Amino acid sequence: MEQAVKIDMIDGSKSFGEKNVLKKINLTIEKGQFVAIIGKSGSGKSTLLRLVADLENLTSGELLFNNTPLKESKVNITMMYQDSRLLPWKKIIDNVGLGLDGQWKDKAAGVLDSVGLLGYKDEWPSTLSGGQKQRVALARALIHEPSLLMLDEPLSALDAFTRLEMQNLIEEIWQNNGFTALLVTHDVREAIRLADRIVLIEEGQIAMDIVIDAPRPRHFSENNLALLEEQVLERIMYGEVQERMKKIK
Amino acid sequence: MRKTWFNRFLPWIIPIIILVVWQVVAALEIVTPSLFPSPLSVLVSGWQLTVSGELFTHVGASLSRAVIGMLIGGLIGFALGIMNGLSDTSYRLSDTTIQMIRNIPHLALLPLVIVWLGIDESAKIFLVVLGVLFPIYVNTFHGIRNVDPGLVEMGRMYKLKGWKLFKAVLLPGALPSIFVGVRYALGVMWLTLIVAETIPTEQGIGYLATNAREFMQTDIIILSIIIYALLGKLADLIAQFGENRALKWNASYNKEL
Ligand SMILES: Nc1ncnc2c1ncn2[C@@H]1O[C@H](COP(=O)(O)OP(=O)(O)OP(=O)(O)O)[C@@H](O)[C@H]1O
Ligand SMILES: [Mg+2]
Repeated sequence: MEQAVKIDMIDGSKSFGEKNVLKKINLTIEKGQFVAIIGKSGSGKSTLLRLVADLENLTSGELLFNNTPLKESKVNITMMYQDSRLLPWKKIIDNVGLGLDGQWKDKAAGVLDSVGLLGYKDEWPSTLSGGQKQRVALARALIHEPSLLMLDEPLSALDAFTRLEMQNLIEEIWQNNGFTALLVTHDVREAIRLADRIVLIEEGQIAMDIVIDAPRPRHFSENNLALLEEQVLERIMYGEVQERMKKIK
Repeated sequence: MRKTWFNRFLPWIIPIIILVVWQVVAALEIVTPSLFPSPLSVLVSGWQLTVSGELFTHVGASLSRAVIGMLIGGLIGFALGIMNGLSDTSYRLSDTTIQMIRNIPHLALLPLVIVWLGIDESAKIFLVVLGVLFPIYVNTFHGIRNVDPGLVEMGRMYKLKGWKLFKAVLLPGALPSIFVGVRYALGVMWLTLIVAETIPTEQGIGYLATNAREFMQTDIIILSIIIYALLGKLADLIAQFGENRALKWNASYNKEL
């Protein structure tokens, strides 16, 4: 496993034509940190993720991985999307091994086993449920032993039970592997359950940045997490940062 | 169980009724048999031509024109479709020209083709090439352009580039559309061949029919038409088989038709 990566965005701006989607974002993410990015639709969350994933280029500003410019660093980044993006014409195991060379079959089988889907390795993706497809997508992301795992609303299309299951799985895998994780979600509860830190994006700027240091696994009946959820939701809906909300335990 | 048997039989009911009515009407000899032969006499002349070996010569000649024309035209159309699908520069350079040529009904070129290429094989094959090229071009092009951009981005994220990206994502994504093009092109291929084989020739199903017309052998004319239809159906079945094999990942192709 490669070392986890530290990310620095310095005055990062992104515009599409006239539209300024991100405005001078300053954000440092420590090695191995699990950061959740929340915000209303269209606020620029996916754009932020795509910049860090090197799928888009900054209009201005800098992006550093372990203090080296993104383009020069050889950091292994993988991403999970809201849709699984499995190739329908490849069997499950071949989807997991996508982009690998040499003897990868055993490794792919191992990773599939770790997401509980080894029995499906020779099936077509079309025969799997939505949750199973996302597990395969997770396996495909993990086999590359990423230093940075990006998750763009990966669970938002799943039912509540499957979502809980997947949250546990993601948390467990993150704890075992220690990569840096960046999760975009609309689900504040999911953010609080999984993240070390929640960053709220509003109109292309960071409007709130709070640390959650409650012990894991987290339960909503403890550590005032339910209260925190309510306050974060209120902040998103009605604005106005209350200073005392910062660093809530 | 009985239901499936019945369902299999169902499509054949109407053709059988037509055959029976045809046989009965012909047997009544309301029209002279030389103008309106019975299905049995068509069958008999078919058998005679088979035994003498003539049928194979003619079907073989037509088939080879069809296959050669389809291969050349298909490959050109496929290559152009891939090129223009992948490269905007290539698309801007050539698409307008291709579309202009496509808008000429290729069969209207028949007299010109005869003047330029004479009446031998090349004229007929050229027409087939021209006929099948465009459906395959258009469908390959759209197939490549309509591959889900999310899948392409995902592929890039997993370090697929160039040939690997093409092989793993773009080509399989375009394949359903390419098969639509192939099946459409097969129809055009037979149609073109029927017309092209009216160019004076000494072999081919078209020759069989033209020759029979001179001697008023209506049964052989009808036989030629039936052979065209059978070959068309056969070609479509082969294409369908290939499609089912190549697209077996696609649930909608797994259903038996
Ligand atoms: N490639 C692009 N070209 C033009 N505009 C874009 C592009 N990508 C994003 N945008 C615009 O940038 C803004 C932010 O988009 P983004 O996808 O980052 O939002 P988001 O916060 O992820 O929203 P959602 O929660 O709905 O996913 C939107 O207004 C969108 O229209
Ligand atoms: Mg988004």
